[in-house]
Parts: sequence; C-alpha cells; structure tokens
Amino acid sequence: MVAVHLQDDLRRVLDEEGRVIKGAQVPPVPDEDLVRIFDTMLLIRVMDDRMMKIQRQGRLGFYMQSLGEEACHFAVYPLRQSDWVFPSYREQGAWFWAGYSVENYIDQLLGNEKDPVKGRQMPVHHSASWLNYVSISSPVGTQIPQAVGTAMGMKISKTDGVAMTFFGEGTSSTGEFHVGMNFAGVSKAPIVFVCRNNGYAISVPIEKQTAAKTFASKAVGYGMPGVRVDGNDILAVLQVSIEAVERARAGDGPTMIEAITYRREGHSSSDDPSVYRDPREPVPWHKKDPVNRLRGYLRLRDIWSEQHERQVIERHNEAIASALARAEHLGGPPVESLFDDVYEDIPWNLREQRDYLLSLPRQKSPHKH
Amino acid sequence: MAFEFHLPDLAEGMTEAEVVGWKVKEGDRVAIDQPLVEVMSDKATVEIPSPRAGVLSRINYKEGQVCKVGAVLFVIDDGTAAAGATPPAVAARGNGHKATPPEAAPEPPRAEIPRAPSTAPSAPSTPPRAPEVPEVIDASPGRTRVLATPATRRLARQLGVELSSVAPSGHRGQVTPEDVRRSAEGAARAESRELRAPAAQREPAALVKIEKPRPGELEERIPFRGVRKRIAENMDRSVHTAAHFTYVEEVDCTDLVAVRKRAAERAAERGVKLTYLPFIMKAVVAGLKKWPQLNAALDESTQEMVRKKYYHLGIAAQGPHGLMVTVVRDADRRSIFDLATELERLAVAVQEGTATRDDLVGSTFTISSLGRLGGVLATPILNFPEVGILGVHELKERPAVKDGQIVIRWMMNLSISLDHRLVDGWDGAMFLQSVKALLEDPTLMFMEMI
Amino acid sequence: MPTMNIIQAVNDALRTEMQREAKVVVLGEDVGKFGGVFRATSGLFDEFGPERVIDTPLAEAGIIGTAVGMALYGMRPVPEIQFADFIYPAFDQIVNELAKFRYRSGGQYPCPVVIRTPYGGGIRGGHYHSQSPEAMFIHTAGLKVVIPSNPYDAKGLLLSCLRQNDPVIFMEPKRIYRAARGEVPTDDYTVPLGVAKVVREGEQVTLIAYGAMVPVVEEAAEKAAQQGISCEVLDLRTLMPYDLDAILGSVKKTGRCVVVHEAARTCGFGGEVAASIYERAIEFLEAPIQRVTGFDTPFPYSLEHEYMPNADRVLGAIRKTLEW
Repeated sequence: MVAVHLQDDLRRVLDEEGRVIKGAQVPPVPDEDLVRIFDTMLLIRVMDDRMMKIQRQGRLGFYMQSLGEEACHFAVYPLRQSDWVFPSYREQGAWFWAGYSVENYIDQLLGNEKDPVKGRQMPVHHSASWLNYVSISSPVGTQIPQAVGTAMGMKISKTDGVAMTFFGEGTSSTGEFHVGMNFAGVSKAPIVFVCRNNGYAISVPIEKQTAAKTFASKAVGYGMPGVRVDGNDILAVLQVSIEAVERARAGDGPTMIEAITYRREGHSSSDDPSVYRDPREPVPWHKKDPVNRLRGYLRLRDIWSEQHERQVIERHNEAIASALARAEHLGGPPVESLFDDVYEDIPWNLREQRDYLLSLPRQKSPHKH
Repeated sequence: MAFEFHLPDLAEGMTEAEVVGWKVKEGDRVAIDQPLVEVMSDKATVEIPSPRAGVLSRINYKEGQVCKVGAVLFVIDDGTAAAGATPPAVAARGNGHKATPPEAAPEPPRAEIPRAPSTAPSAPSTPPRAPEVPEVIDASPGRTRVLATPATRRLARQLGVELSSVAPSGHRGQVTPEDVRRSAEGAARAESRELRAPAAQREPAALVKIEKPRPGELEERIPFRGVRKRIAENMDRSVHTAAHFTYVEEVDCTDLVAVRKRAAERAAERGVKLTYLPFIMKAVVAGLKKWPQLNAALDESTQEMVRKKYYHLGIAAQGPHGLMVTVVRDADRRSIFDLATELERLAVAVQEGTATRDDLVGSTFTISSLGRLGGVLATPILNFPEVGILGVHELKERPAVKDGQIVIRWMMNLSISLDHRLVDGWDGAMFLQSVKALLEDPTLMFMEMI
Repeated sequence: MPTMNIIQAVNDALRTEMQREAKVVVLGEDVGKFGGVFRATSGLFDEFGPERVIDTPLAEAGIIGTAVGMALYGMRPVPEIQFADFIYPAFDQIVNELAKFRYRSGGQYPCPVVIRTPYGGGIRGGHYHSQSPEAMFIHTAGLKVVIPSNPYDAKGLLLSCLRQNDPVIFMEPKRIYRAARGEVPTDDYTVPLGVAKVVREGEQVTLIAYGAMVPVVEEAAEKAAQQGISCEVLDLRTLMPYDLDAILGSVKKTGRCVVVHEAARTCGFGGEVAASIYERAIEFLEAPIQRVTGFDTPFPYSLEHEYMPNADRVLGAIRKTLEW
C-alpha cells in the first residue's frame, strides 16, 4: 500500500529572474544539456511564431502554439530512446528534443508527399514510430489508457522501460483519464502522467473544470503520488520528472505531475481568447516566462551569450525557412494512397473504390489558388 | 508582379469575414509579415500579416465590408516581373541572410512489422473488378410499360424477344420467363430484335494486371497513351465490329518490273521517285469501280451501306510513333506521275509534322505496303470503318511454272482483308483477280485506265 | 477427433496461440482467475499466469485503451468485452483510435488487437445482454468483423485473427455457445478470413446468414426441401471484408435471395448485402431480395421469442421470392 498524501506545496527551483531559490536543490543536469534545452526552447518560439504567421497568410490550414508553456515539454528529458511517449498536441519541444526534424514537422503541417503520416491528419497530429512517439489523435485523453497499456506491456516483458503521457488539465475530466490512472495504479505500471495545467480548456477555465483544489490531488484516488511543479521553472520540471521516471523504472509505479503554467495565446489558430478572457490576464505571466528564466539562470552561470542566442535563432530561422520553401514546393500525397493503410492488405471493396476514384478526373482543392 | 491574396479559411469552416480595420492604406509600401488588416469571423478576430514585400496596390474590401473566403482581399505588387507561377517568397530574416539550402530530410525508417503468414489470408485475391456495366436497353418513347423481373428482361434480350409483344401470364400481370421462351420459339429471326446493344459496345472486361517480375527479371514500363493508345483503340474497334476474312493471291509482276524501270527513268527526269505503289493504286481504283461494295462503309445509325463514289486511298506505313495512314485523295483523278508526287509530298509532310487533317483522315480503302519487310502472307486489320485493306508483300524473283517449264519470274503476293458483313468472298476474290490481271499485264492496265 | 462446443473451441484457440506465441495476452473483466463469465478463458490463468491473463478494473474504455497501448508496443492483446452490449464505453477507443491507428500514422503504427465479445439474443438477457451491434463496426473503416457459427470455424477463424495484423471484432454467438457442437481438430489449423462457406448446396433460393442465424436458416432450408424447394445456404463467417464472389456466385445461380440477421432491420448488414447484389447481379434476380431481421426496437425481454428471426419467418421469405 503506497502512502500518498496531498502535496499542496509547489516544487520550485528558480525564481522569476532565474536565480536558484534559497533551499532549493538544482537537479543533476549537465550544463551542455541545459544549453541544448534552451536552444530547443528557442526553436519552439521561432517555429510557433513563423507557423502562426503563415497560417494567417493561408499557407497553413491550422496550428497550435505553446507560447509560455515550453518548459513543460522537457519532462521528457530523463527518458531513454527506448522509452515511449504518448503526447497530446501541445508538446512540440518534446518532439524536437527526441530528434523529430524541422522538415518532418513542417511536412506534417502541410500534409505534403513527404509527410510522415502521408497527409492523413490535420496539422500538429504528428507520429514518429522511429522515436517511439505515438501518433496523436484529436479526441483528448485517448492516449492515456494507451500509454498505460504500453507501460503494462513493458512490465510484462520485463524490460525497465518507462512510458510518459502528456495532457492538459481539461483532459483530466475525461473518462479516459480516470480509467488510465486507475489501471496504472492497480497494475503499478511504469508510467509518468504529465498534466499541463495551463488554465484553460479552449474557453473553459479551471474553476469550471474541477471542484478539487488541485489536479495533482486526483492522483491520490488512484493510489499514486501527485506532484505539483511550477511548469515555467525548467529546473523544477526536470527535477520532478527525473524523480518520477526513476520511480517508474525502479518498479515503484506511476506518478502524476501537475505542471502549473499558463496558455498565453489562444487554444489554436481558430481561437480568439479575447472573446472569453480579459486581455490583461496573461500579462503577469510574461514575468514568469520559462525561456527568460532559463536564460537568466544560464547567464548567472556564465554559460549564455547574446551572440550565441542570436546565432541559434538565426540558425532556426534558416532551417525553418528552407524547410518551408521545400515543403511548399512538394505536391500532395498521391491519390491512390487514400486507400492504403486502412488495412495491412487492401481488400476488394477498397480496391474497387480506388479504381473508381482513379478513373475520375482529378478534383482541385478549394484551399489552393 | 501582382500577387492576389485570397482570403483563406482561417478558422475551421469559416466562410466569410468582416474587415475590422486596415493598418495600411492603398499605395503603401509593406514588408513581409507586416500586419496589414484585422478580419473577424464568427469564431475569431485575426490579424493577417503580409505574405509579400511590395506595394499594397489594391484593397478590395473596406472596413465594415464582408469578404468571402476565396475572394481576393487585397493585391500586392511585389515589383518582380511576371514569370509564370512564382513560389511564395522565402522569409529572409535578420541582416539579409539568405536561406541555406535544405538538408535532406531523414526518411523515417519503416516500423518493423511482421507480415501476416500465408496460412491466414485476409481477403480473396481476385483481380481488381471494374464496376460492371449493364447492357443498354432501348427505352424509346411510345412503348407501353411491361412488368418483368430483371432476369426475365435479360432472357428476352438474349432470345431477341420484344417484351411488349408477349402476352403476360404472371399473377401480377408480369411477363414470365416461360412466356418469353414460348414467344421466342414462334418469333421471327434475330433481325426483328429492337432490344439490342449498339454494335460497337461490349462489356468492359476486368482490367488486366501484369504482375511484377521476380527478382532478376527485368522489365521496362512505358506509359500507354498518345499515338500508341489511339492505334490500339482503333484496332480493337475494327476487330470487334467487322467480320474479317483474308484472301491471298500471287501476282506475276515480271512485265510490270520492266515497265516501271523505264517509267522510273522518266519520272527521275522530273525529279519524282517512282515506286510500284502508283501502279498498284491505279489497279486498285479500277477494281473498286467494278466492285463498289469494296469501297464502302456501314452507317449503323441509318442502317445503310454507303458505297462511295470517290476514291481516297489510305496508304499505311510505319511512322516514327507507330502505324500511320496518309490519304491520297481522288486517286482516280490522278496520273501515275501525280500519284508518285503526292506520295512524296505526304511522306515529307508527315516527317515535318505539317500534314493536314485531309492528309491523314478520310480514306475509303487502304493499301498497306509491307514489301521491304518480306513476307508472303498477312491478315491485315481493316482501317475502321472501311471494308477493305490490301497488303502488298515483297516483290522478288521466285520460281514459277510457265508452259510446263520452271522459269524465274518476279512475283509479288497480295493479301486482302475484307469485311464479310458487306463483302462476300466472291466479290473479294473477283476484285483481287482484276487487280492481279492489270498488274500482270501493264498493257491491259494502260488500256483500261480512264 | 474430439467434439467441442463454441466455448471450448474458443478456449482451445486461445490456449493454442498463447502456447505458440509469447506476445499473446488476454485481458478483461473476470477473465483471469474466474475464467470468464462464459468460461471462455477457463484454465488460461493457471497455465500462463497473471501477467498474461489479466483481470482488469471495470472499465471497457480502459480494457480496450490499454490493449491498444500493448499492441502498439508489439504485443498481441486479446481483450474481452463481457457482453457486446457493454462495448459502447470503449466505442471511442475502438472507432477513433484502434481502427485508425495504422492509417493516421501513415502506416507507422499497426494495431493488432482482437476484441472478443459475446453477442446476440436468445438467453433471456433483455436489452443489455442481447444486442447485435456488428453494423456499426462493419461501417468503421479499418476494422474487420468476424462471426463464427460453429466450433470448427470458431477455432480456425480466431486463430486466423490472431495471426494477422489488423484490428478485429470477433463476435461470438452466445445463444449457441453450448448448443453448437461439432468435431474440432486438436492440432493447429486456420480458417481464412474473408471467405464464406456454402453450408448447403441448392438451386432455387440463396439463404445468407451468419452466427446464430445459420442454424435457423439451415432449419428453414430443411423445411423448404420438404416442400420441394431447393435452397442454398451461405454462412458468411467474415462480415468485413465479406466474400462478395461467393454471394454473387450463389445468387447468379439461383436468382433469389433471403438475407437473415437478428440485428435490427434498418441499416443492418442485410441492406449492404442486398445493395451489393442489386448493383452487380440485378439481371439475374427473379424476385426482390428478402431480409429477415430483428425489428427496429430495443431487444425485448418477455417477447424475445417473437423478436428473433425463426425458421418459419425465413420460410415465409423463401416462399415470397418464389411466388413473386
């Protein structure tokens, strides 16, 4: 019987300027990893900014950005290549950290012929089996029991693999959250649940999402620890994640992490938050910006320079620009691929439908001019 | 060049948006990504950054106006020359650095999935089936409605029975299969059928698939289109409409050889190359005048056999892309010189690509010269919708029997294919014999020519 | 050769495959120590242990969701949904996730899960122990639907399902779980998916059925034979993909067709079969296709015997095609 208790205390390491808080322990993360994390955060920033702009120009159908939440993505830091990740749709930093390329990312957004998911899904619904990052779907929460299943499988196979899954706080209301957490607790699965509490599920604020004081407290009901962390404090995020992953790997079962952060922009490119929240509300969160705080820490440790940051941003811009130029020149997936991968082998009904479609003149997409 | 910005669907199903406010005015110079305008749909208000650098040359929708998705919201003149479809400008950021060439994107490795073993096939492996097309039923107005099941109708079609002429005995007033069979036994022959498929139509068969070769077996796949495909379609059509039969005869051209030799010298003086073809054409035209049923075609729409009183001879030859037919029009009104000249003109026109429609279409009878390739017999395929095609084989010296002696003669075989629907064997044979007679005795040809 | 019923055949298939392939894992409510409420998984827990025969918490979404995660990881999970009537909490995981994983990931993530579930009425189970929801799954691209009618097919089809890589809903006709008995080889064999079986040859009318309705139409065919009517009986066995060639081959021969299923009439699978036949073989039909089905009502308790298609209703339909 695991003794769990409500942890109302919020794990923190850095203050808003990036200084280590008195009494806080810095996680055992080498400097070069921190620099790489910083560089990747900058990539998220640049990518999000660029992609939102081209979406407004009609060159991209849809996009979801992570402004202000970037530190949460790096909960994946302690994972090995052989561990599995079941993301939601707002952890692009985790993908880049694992090795998903800028080209892959943009190809998927545009759904062109090089898209790793062959133009099947909306933008931001990535899948990278070579990284053990599992295909994203739109209904929230479906990934949670799946991640638990994989973790159970790892346990049954006697590997010391760990699964990690991400979701927003709104998702904690779904049935899937409940069944996943419950199965994980009962089977002591080696899994880490990362809940990004960013304040909103589209327009619904957290007060309307739960009557519980915190989301981490829900973990108690499933027999696992719930840890709250300042989601904009990268060192704190790394620390709680390292602990949770070690716990799982040692066979001590699941942990739920609630990362407190704030969604500074809209839910997606289709959303205008000024309709449902005061435009002044996000302002105090600028001071808690995760990129700024990490920069502050690196500066204090003397492992940051303005020149380095400029170069990194330039490198990101160039990579994105050239990937975009290439991606926009590519055609779409071939028409016949519409019928592939429904099953392993194409059955007669699909073969027939494919022959029929191929015999018709090609249609022009209304979204291309 | 003027770049037209079409208002995109910015918000999952947006159909239109109202212009909230312009941040620039017409004529202003704008930079890439510079905010230009705010538009509002029922879902969201968004700011649109400029997709191009240049001059905002036209604003189509003013503040308060509603622009539909897909309509041109504004136009930017980016100052470049129009050169076809230019790709969207690559955003160059900071300090004018150019975009670096893209690295090759790593191909995601395929996941290792064990394939299902052959003991458990998941679907019957039949070739792809094209949707089957039912036969066309004559539904001309003025006929009374007949009650009959689809199977009975099919039976009636097969037996050539007109359903409306059959007395129905079914309990719902329908024609039964037995009624149809009874009617067929007492009915007139197949030519009284009014329910029929058009002659040239047949059920499209399932598409033939040529399986990929095993490792080590090479193949080359060439797209089946253009001239080749047209030739194939014509051949298909010809073979499936006409009732081909072929009649072959050998012709002693020894005298003709001598005549042509002398005539060729005359023609060379006029700069004209003279082959045997003009002679053969003349002999053919003479024959067609005597047997007009070979210079004919079947008009299915009016059910008439059309005997043409003009003589356009198609000359089939191997072109650069495949079989080609050029047409020598009014062969009956041309001298041998004219025919030779015209053949040369056509050859040059085809080579230079200046052949007109009249040069390529409209023949009434076709001659296919296979001479240089040798051979003694062929079964040429009619040049649809003609009813006769004459294949001409190699002219060479062969042993022959004359007055009980074996002699060496110049011999040439002719293979003629005819459409037996319109041309009987007798007609075909008589025609070819007349052609033979003229070729074997040039003096006779000279005397018969008009 | 031993005689088995469908339960024993399913059990034998599971045991055979779990011995052969270590990645096969069974999970569901009561499937472990208890051996399943219908005893389909009886003995497996003792033989293979709690890690491969898992008693899950009571949540169908969790059973299927975790099964998906296991399959992605490379295992071959066989989740059981205790009654098909309880499959709906897992509907999202089945339709939106399981069915689409291979497609939406561009082929990166096949998801070989075989969901076993007892379906159909006849055990006085009322609304919530009698449903036949196969049409919803046939209609979902990416799923296969398999329904055996006898023990031999049950074992062979289940083994085929376990050895291919697409998600399958394997629906077991609970009314004849024990009543259907037959010889079942103890060795390893498979019955191919997508292939129907001509259970009885005939000349005049084609009867198409699956699951618990197969014995019903066999009975009707026998009664028809006594009236001098020769019927051909086709057991579809796989509903997606279904054996179109077998259906057309039979109907083109007979010219008459009756489709039977206990699922409700409107938008039931019988409509799909009829439409397919009309599209491709209308000229061979001597009469309209008849469907003998359950009614468009929830499945009743007291009037269950009126609801379910029986041999007399099938016989009536047969006669209707002949007297058209």
